[in-house]
Amino acid sequence: MFACIYDRIVSKTAATDSENETGFSPLVDLAFTFSPLVEQTKADTVVFDVTGQDLLFGTHPNVLANELNAQNDSVRNVADEIARRAAKLNLKINIAIAANPDAAIHAARCCKGTTIIDGDDVLLHLAPLSIRKLDYSLARVEADRAEEIQATFALWGVCTFGDLARLPLAGVAERLGQDGVRLQKLAQGKTDRQIHLVRPPIGFEQSLELEDPISELEPFSFILSRLLNQLCANLHEYALATNELRLRLVTERCLEYRLQSGISAANEKDPTEVGVLNTCDLHERTITLPVPMRDPKTLLRLLLFDIEAQPPSAPIIKVSISAQPVKPRASQTGLFIPLAPEPEKLEITLARLAKLVGGENVGSPESLDAHRPDSFRMKRFRLATQRKKSRSNLQSVIRNPQSVMGFRMFRPAWRVDVETIQGKPTRISARGQASTRIRGQVVCAAGPWRGSGDWWRSDVWARDEWDVALVDPNARESKVICRIYRDLTNEQWFVEGIYD
Amino acid sequence: MNAAVTKKQIESTLTDRFGDVFERFERLPPKTLSTGIGEIDNALHGFPRGAITEIHGTASSGRTSLLLSALAAATSQEEICALVDCSDTFDLSSAAKAEVDFDRLLWIRCGHNLERAFKAVDLILHAGGFGLVALNLCDVPAKTVRRVISTWWFRFRRALENTPNALIVLTPIAAVHSCAALVLEVKSEASVWSNSLSLLSENRYSSFTAQPEHGGHLSLVQTSLPTFSSNKDSHFLQAMNIRVNRERPVEWQTREIKFKAHFH
Repeated sequence: MFACIYDRIVSKTAATDSENETGFSPLVDLAFTFSPLVEQTKADTVVFDVTGQDLLFGTHPNVLANELNAQNDSVRNVADEIARRAAKLNLKINIAIAANPDAAIHAARCCKGTTIIDGDDVLLHLAPLSIRKLDYSLARVEADRAEEIQATFALWGVCTFGDLARLPLAGVAERLGQDGVRLQKLAQGKTDRQIHLVRPPIGFEQSLELEDPISELEPFSFILSRLLNQLCANLHEYALATNELRLRLVTERCLEYRLQSGISAANEKDPTEVGVLNTCDLHERTITLPVPMRDPKTLLRLLLFDIEAQPPSAPIIKVSISAQPVKPRASQTGLFIPLAPEPEKLEITLARLAKLVGGENVGSPESLDAHRPDSFRMKRFRLATQRKKSRSNLQSVIRNPQSVMGFRMFRPAWRVDVETIQGKPTRISARGQASTRIRGQVVCAAGPWRGSGDWWRSDVWARDEWDVALVDPNARESKVICRIYRDLTNEQWFVEGIYD
Repeated sequence: MNAAVTKKQIESTLTDRFGDVFERFERLPPKTLSTGIGEIDNALHGFPRGAITEIHGTASSGRTSLLLSALAAATSQEEICALVDCSDTFDLSSAAKAEVDFDRLLWIRCGHNLERAFKAVDLILHAGGFGLVALNLCDVPAKTVRRVISTWWFRFRRALENTPNALIVLTPIAAVHSCAALVLEVKSEASVWSNSLSLLSENRYSSFTAQPEHGGHLSLVQTSLPTFSSNKDSHFLQAMNIRVNRERPVEWQTREIKFKAHFH
């Protein structure tokens, strides 16, 4: 059985934009309170499946005398319940319940109040309806063709559904084709189709309000796990993944503040307003993932690492996680491409490394376009997606027959005591980190090379560089070649690094 | 000969009772990763995969040059590499000259913390997929490296087994011992300087600046004031001659491996 609700007000005003916070019109919301199988045929018409509703709204079976009466009563009760709920929502509607959705639609549009059509009485109810009320779109007839058919019906003297229903099928088919046949079935109330379901909005956000505040990470991980499992299940259902997770934690103090301020619960949904009230108690984190993923275990670990690195300031009272849905990663690797870390595993490893040595100390180095020595920045390590032209044999790997001399840069540069003769270093002594030292007689020196830059900034640099070879007669080590420089801004000497 | 025959007889007798317990698995030749230096690749066939390679030597011996060549070769082969830098001394300028692909290099700066460095290597090895992992302990004092407990090395060796990944450890002294499949000692033999040169040790009371003559020879010209070089290259050290000794595995006939590391 299908019920159709026709909103008389909407049909007159043609206000189709009256959507509530769920994104649906009130008619659809009303239908969803009865059944998940809902079709919004037009802005003013909604059809939904009420099969099985008698278990909820039907008369008690012990009271009934026979089965037929029981069925009629249950359908009547469903219709009454729809009318009652519509009245609560101030909707002025027509209700029709029939065995097929198209018959219910026509009955609801043409008959005021509640119409209940039994399986055998379809034609009785539809026959007197004007042929002008026939919905051609239900028979998939285009507008131009519909006008032609309407003119034909006028010529034939067909004024009602009954007139069309009684025409011989072969004659209709001969003159109007398959469109005519479908329209005749509509008029007879004998169509058989599946309703086009309205999908509820895809929710990739999970939230949970806790009864007791949580201040420890371990019990909180169980809550996160539950929410992430649900979130990933939703993503999986729609064959999607996520590349951005947003975690929003409302802490205890924030809630107290809100209650004291008398902020309504409606305002709580507006993150900007809450942020204005007390930003420090609203802990928000965004985790951007390099590749789309939907593995709840991986996401849980990443969230836990993030919370561990930057914990909220007070016990958590409410948690919500939202995911940005994107298409999942589709990659095909070649047989002869070297193995690379799995993206999910790599993300967890990077998070662990960041926890171990600090996030700013992990990543890919990137040289900056500047003249200042050792100017670089760390960027997030991402697996290279673009393949370069692969080299096939060993000889091609050895691109440059001259290998490049390595240099080890001391960060920060070591302060060094330098003995000079006429500005040239002759002996140096420096002590670095972890009691390492560089000292000795300069046996070979080359320089100076003067460099300067950034004179328009406060951290201007200017220096004279020397390459020096040292020999320490007391040390076991052989000659050490290092680069030293004299800072011209403060006339101090430093060891920049060692050639190695 | 008799001992070998007797051993074979005992094995054949016991095989009937205990099956093929004496059958040794045929070990395949180890896969290697190119060092990027032709001389070393010709002699050693590269760094072994699934094992630890130790490169030790004193300061300015050429360890970093060898590492940069290996990183450049590995990244050019689309391997993902990781460099665990204990003392934060990785120089981007020389690495860029060596053509290291930074997009395929994960650099972990451990801020002179040895324990963090070892933990970072452990995490990376267990994550898998990194073709070359390098642990740079060059600037850690030798006595500190000597105190590293051997379980770390055993743990790394176990993590690397049956994987296509190679671990290179750069140390001031030999510290990995039996856990390393390949131990190389590097030594700098000589350094080649450019034409602008001051030889102060020979005459400390007067300064000389070299002027290039025809044929590239040096002539020492006395100068009263420091002369600023007009060389467009910022540095004067041109090249280093580096000798590599293989300490492990030991071979009867040792081959001398030498290569030259150039500044440019």
